[in-house]
Amino acid sequence: MPDTDSTLRGPISKKLKEFTVVDMDVHIHETPAALAPYCEMPWRKSLEHLSTVPQRYLDIPGFSPNLSVYPSFPDSGGDRRSTVSSASQMRQDLDSLGIDIGVLFPDALLSHASIKNTDYAVALARAYNRWMVEEWLDSDFSLKGAILAPHHDPHAAAGEIMRYAGHANVVAIYLPTSCVDPLYGHRRYDPIYNAAQDTGLPVTFHSVGAIHPVFPFNLQGFETGFANHIISHPFSLISNLVSLMETGVPVRFPNLRIVFTEGGIGWVPWIMLRMDKEYQERRRDIPFLKDRPSTYVKKMYFATQPIEEPEHMADMATFISLFDGEDSVVFASDWPHHDFDHPNKVLQIPVEDKVLRKIMGGNAIRLLNLNESVT
Amino acid sequence: MTREYLVCEIDELPIGGRIVVRVRNREIGVFNVGGKYYALPNVCIHQNGPLCLGAVSGTLNASLETEWKLEWSHEGDILVCPWHSMEYNITTGESLPFRNRQLPTFDVLVHDGRIFVRM
Repeated sequence: MPDTDSTLRGPISKKLKEFTVVDMDVHIHETPAALAPYCEMPWRKSLEHLSTVPQRYLDIPGFSPNLSVYPSFPDSGGDRRSTVSSASQMRQDLDSLGIDIGVLFPDALLSHASIKNTDYAVALARAYNRWMVEEWLDSDFSLKGAILAPHHDPHAAAGEIMRYAGHANVVAIYLPTSCVDPLYGHRRYDPIYNAAQDTGLPVTFHSVGAIHPVFPFNLQGFETGFANHIISHPFSLISNLVSLMETGVPVRFPNLRIVFTEGGIGWVPWIMLRMDKEYQERRRDIPFLKDRPSTYVKKMYFATQPIEEPEHMADMATFISLFDGEDSVVFASDWPHHDFDHPNKVLQIPVEDKVLRKIMGGNAIRLLNLNESVT
Repeated sequence: MTREYLVCEIDELPIGGRIVVRVRNREIGVFNVGGKYYALPNVCIHQNGPLCLGAVSGTLNASLETEWKLEWSHEGDILVCPWHSMEYNITTGESLPFRNRQLPTFDVLVHDGRIFVRM
């Protein structure tokens, strides 16, 4: 057998070697046991209890909620999971994918917005942030982090942003986007956007396939992972983008930088044109906008993963051109999740090298204020 | 010009087994499906994942004949890429999701208790 460590990641192309690659979305594995020492009381007790229970009480992992008709991944311990549990392992993995800098997001806390108890949700966010900063960012592995802002308590979220904004490796704010209610345009979130604007950190909307039976997700209506995964990610992003627009977030916070991750990019031109169409008829609903919604969409950033894979990758160049994405599309792999994209796939989009360099790294370097030169 | 390259001894590749070898600078997976041998490239047509390191499996189908009920079939014939679960029929090289695309296949021969691939 060949060396699986190197083969599992595939070959590094010449362009991949040459270009500075910034990955807007990689995932670290936070377990209850790992977070417990970082969590305040009494919520630490919850994590300690969860740490000693191999299978959650009255939960039936392996049976629900989805069919499991595909075989497990190699070395996954029996499912389609692959996890990264240390900063050095992440560095090694990113090196083998040809990625220079990665921005860290959590695993399980992708569903953070679905937690119902506000104080517990805030305590978990604080524990995750402490843990990420101490165990992942305070090392010399070119890892950057996004601070988890608990939507449940926007003032506490703003406090977390202010606390970590000065850290050299904190480069963004993570807003858990699936299951959030009310949607992120609501004025209760203004303290988060104020803090983001004041600190210069972009807000990153990251979706997940969490099942939550409220509009606009309606995932209870589907019975397969196929349907859930298609709808959950982009609909989370689309509904929150439209929500931001209907309360004028991009106008009220003109220096706020906004990023959307894990929905691909194919939906962007569609929703942008649809908003413009409505705007000409309903401008009085949102009179605070100074121009068509597309003007604001074109200033937002969109991460590539899961990049659409039409038969002709030239179609993706067309998609990107429809929202002037040359300066706003940022590469993301979603490593190590089951639907990660190898950077070589995004490099197949037939655009000039100078555009590819922006998408693979240059745009993210500008967005995240990274101290790097673009190659 | 094609030549034959040694893969392994017959004993090293039992039914249900697979071996990945490097031949002429390419990685090739050789499989024993029900006593017949098949060879495929170790590169997925999707994102170039290391296909031949994936699980050998059956698959699910449903049709008018099964009254649209799910049916497990092709046990042992299906290879699932370890990167994004793209499925292939090992015996034909056909991709299940992309009906118009398929992997190249290579002839496998047996002489004197040893398995060879012709490339």
